[in-house]
Amino acid sequence: MLYPNIYDVIVVGGGHAGTEAALTAARSGANTLLLTHNIETLGQMSCNPAIGGIGKGHLVKEIDALGGVMAKAADQAGIHFRTLNQSKGPAVRATRSQADRTLYRIAIRKALDNQDGLTIFEQAVDDLTIENGRVVGAVTQMGIKFSAPTVVLTVGTFLAGKIHVGEAQSSAGRAGDQPALTLALRLRELPLEIGRLKTGTPPRIDGRTINYDQLQAQPSDTPRPVFSFLGSVADHPEQVQCHITHTNEKTHDIIKGAMHRSPLFSGDIEGVGPRYCPSIEDKVVRFADKSSHQIFIEPEGLNTHEIYPNGISTSLPFDIQVAYVQSIKGFENAHITRPGYAIEYDFFDPKGLRPSLETRAIGGLFFAGQINGTTGYEEAAAQGLIAGLNAARQVKGLEYWTPRRDEAYIGVLIDDLITRGTREPYRMFTSRAEYRLMLREDNADLRLTEKGRELGLVDDERWEAFCKKRDAIATLQSQIKTVWVRLGTDEAKEISDTMGLKLSRERRLSELLKVPEVNLPAALKILAPELTNLDTQVVEQVEIQGKYAGYLDRQQAEIDKSRAQTDTRLPQDLDYTQVRSLSNEIAEKLNAHQPETIGQASRISGVTPAAISILLVHLKKRTLRESA
Amino acid sequence: MPTAADTIAAIASGAGRAGVGVIRVSGPDAPAIAQMITGVSLTTRHAHYLNFKSEQGNAIDIGIALLFAAPHSYTGEHVLELQGHGGPVVMDQLLERVLQCGARAARPGEFTERAFLNDKLDLAQAEAVADLINANTAAASQAAVRSMSGALSLAVNDALEELIALRVWLEAALDFSEEEIDFLAEPQVKQRAAALEQLFTKLIANAQQGQRLRDGLTIVIAGVTNVGKSSLLNALSGADSAIVTDIAGTTRDVLHEHINLDGMPLHIIDTAGLRETTDVVEQQGIQRAQQAANTADHILLLIDATNPQIPDIELPDSIPTTVVLNKIDLQNKVTLPASCPPVDLSLSVKTGEGLDQLKEHLLKVAGRDDSIEGVFLARRRHLQALNVAQEACANALKRLQENNMPELAAEELKMAQQALNEITGQFDADDLLGRIFADFCVGK
Repeated sequence: MLYPNIYDVIVVGGGHAGTEAALTAARSGANTLLLTHNIETLGQMSCNPAIGGIGKGHLVKEIDALGGVMAKAADQAGIHFRTLNQSKGPAVRATRSQADRTLYRIAIRKALDNQDGLTIFEQAVDDLTIENGRVVGAVTQMGIKFSAPTVVLTVGTFLAGKIHVGEAQSSAGRAGDQPALTLALRLRELPLEIGRLKTGTPPRIDGRTINYDQLQAQPSDTPRPVFSFLGSVADHPEQVQCHITHTNEKTHDIIKGAMHRSPLFSGDIEGVGPRYCPSIEDKVVRFADKSSHQIFIEPEGLNTHEIYPNGISTSLPFDIQVAYVQSIKGFENAHITRPGYAIEYDFFDPKGLRPSLETRAIGGLFFAGQINGTTGYEEAAAQGLIAGLNAARQVKGLEYWTPRRDEAYIGVLIDDLITRGTREPYRMFTSRAEYRLMLREDNADLRLTEKGRELGLVDDERWEAFCKKRDAIATLQSQIKTVWVRLGTDEAKEISDTMGLKLSRERRLSELLKVPEVNLPAALKILAPELTNLDTQVVEQVEIQGKYAGYLDRQQAEIDKSRAQTDTRLPQDLDYTQVRSLSNEIAEKLNAHQPETIGQASRISGVTPAAISILLVHLKKRTLRESA
Repeated sequence: MPTAADTIAAIASGAGRAGVGVIRVSGPDAPAIAQMITGVSLTTRHAHYLNFKSEQGNAIDIGIALLFAAPHSYTGEHVLELQGHGGPVVMDQLLERVLQCGARAARPGEFTERAFLNDKLDLAQAEAVADLINANTAAASQAAVRSMSGALSLAVNDALEELIALRVWLEAALDFSEEEIDFLAEPQVKQRAAALEQLFTKLIANAQQGQRLRDGLTIVIAGVTNVGKSSLLNALSGADSAIVTDIAGTTRDVLHEHINLDGMPLHIIDTAGLRETTDVVEQQGIQRAQQAANTADHILLLIDATNPQIPDIELPDSIPTTVVLNKIDLQNKVTLPASCPPVDLSLSVKTGEGLDQLKEHLLKVAGRDDSIEGVFLARRRHLQALNVAQEACANALKRLQENNMPELAAEELKMAQQALNEITGQFDADDLLGRIFADFCVGK
């Protein structure tokens, strides 16, 4: 049957990419349909219910700054919060939370149900309707045909999944779910490059069978961090503790003795696993000199006893899992509620995507999330937001928007994917960002909210809060330029004594701020008591910008210097083998990638600075010829 | 079309040739650099005859400075031309000074590229621009390699490895703070950063000292006794060459000559005849000759046309060797022994026949005929990269010592790496992560 309503955007899949895509498309004014195989699992955290972490927390804050839902949901569901890298500088500090899976799902569901312009329908999608190289709709299992000029596909949670537990194998999606097989087969017929990846999970444990008395407890941090710029600690539910334990030599002996039964080592698994998330058998073999590995015991929720032992993912047979788990301190009597497993799945080479996340092969078809070879809720949600936004913008005839690498981790993520592709499940790290000092959690709103407002993604409440904060920062920045520390005064003495620095001449507070030892809140208390009741976020922001000033200026200068060149558009009909003097190898790479800008071209591996010069010369010649 | 935001510099005249050498500077800082070097504010499009000054105010050279204001210049940007007295050593010093004032050593073909992008060349003129960029890039990288001794380039690689190792520690500590690998807590981090900084400092000192072009290529004349080695040395250091020093040993020892061929310094060593002998003194001389041969940049193997023999002593395969046949005035039909490598040049030291060809050959060997952009510039680019790396390492150390923001130290080391990428090839974020995962057990 042909469904009578015509939508602007159809989002297929209701995971973290799908829900964020649907919400964003609807927020941008598109008439949006969300198709999911199960309404009850919308926003489901199918693996460990943790949000954030180093690099990932940055993504969450950016999603929030652009009006996305993930940060708010994480605040409403978070039962354990920490600030990682607290002892290091602000650029690498990151928020991480453990969520109650049910509360998280409820928060997402509530946002979906209350979003204007968004319709939800429960049916698995079996096919896409494609006409003249463009997608025009989707067909469900029952044969219902939905029409729309754009479709965002987010069905990557284990496309054509194959699970391994020891010698046993089975077809499956995420444990317990059906794999999206029909659609996977259909997608294989499209002109898209397919690859295969692998990941693993640890066995889950019934928390009542763990002896916590002998384990190190890890409570939430104080002060407790908050994800959303609009959120507060009051949004958080009851907090619980995590715990830490370790493997030991006995554990390692059990694993070593069973290595021949691991599909990872027998060759049964062909997919490529993440190097940053090795299975316990991998750790034991590759780092044989380590006699112990750390395990984080993470609760899955307030109303379940199940815990996630983070650090011992495995594909060993179940009898071995029981034996090695019970060799670990605190787990002597542990009952495994679900065995650990390795899973292989399909992904589509993201080098086939445009920066908008539209596929180059099929007009109007956007991909977001694990289908693009990424891992993690945060990476998925970030792509969902951009794909949903750009699908909606395409329908309205507007130019796409994707942040640049110097604007957001979201920009780093998408640029890495489309220019370099990935050989392992891609996850974010701060070392991937060349402008790491600029891309901080604390300034995600200052970087993106103005743009989000312009794109129609930021509502009045967020906008007003943002403007207030932005203006307060500007005010304080100009105020500290007029606060002087004069030699010989009581204030100068107090500054010198408490912060351990010698003043050789009178200084403005704005200059003094650059000295590592100077702490702004303390300095304000001494020098300008009238400025001490300001919002802590405002003071913090002024302090960070002061401390990083030299580096930020240098990075900004570097960006400005190359901007004109890197933003230069490359024509999309260019046959690079016809560009004079370009080596064949580079020409073929560029033909395969079809980069949209000089900047993108320069980041493709193997493309040299000389090749970029040649491209610039070629572009100029083209313009000259056209005008001649 | 983009306009460049940085200022580039290069020796615009061919290296080593000619009586006039030109340094060209293009970009927004050209007028400021002119002011720094000449000490006066130049009138555009006027020839000023004045001293080019070092940082301390001493004259490096005297010559003509010309300033062209954008867009009326070769590249369409502000352009400064410094015309000096030529001579590669002086030109190199002048280039060094220009770079010190804030210019960047130009990439191959970059002036022409800028001229084209700024509408200064028409399409017909510009057809070959891309070819030029390509050809010169290959030539320049070869030239740069040749400009440094093998030992020096090995040392650069060692420094690079240590830099990467340190970055792996720092980045792992930043991105995997929950793992039990907090290297920042360990005193070795600072020690290693300090050692790395010293390594770069030493490297720069060695690079300054060991630059072949400024000190001269070391050329060893080898051959059996009485083949005419000493005569050849005398002929090369004759009236048309300036003798700088003259350290004579015994006839059985090695003789050194610093000569200057067309402005190109060469360091020529005459060795004792290489042959097996039982004479103790002569044996020592031969040992020294062998050592000299082992450290040469180039060997001239001299063979007597009247008595063609090659020495029994080993000449290292790794050192380029030119086989020269002498005394062709006495014997023009020569049958060489089977073990003799093919002859490259024939001459007579006595009549002077073939000597000019040998000089040409030596100049070529010394790099005079390298690409337009030349060996000097390539080398300067390398030195500039080493300087940036050294400074960044010094800053990284300071950051590690003074506060709790290790990400700033990481930032500095990343800049050091970026600077070295030009010499050593790309090493990007993904390569770095790969090293972290290979070295440490991270991840949950």
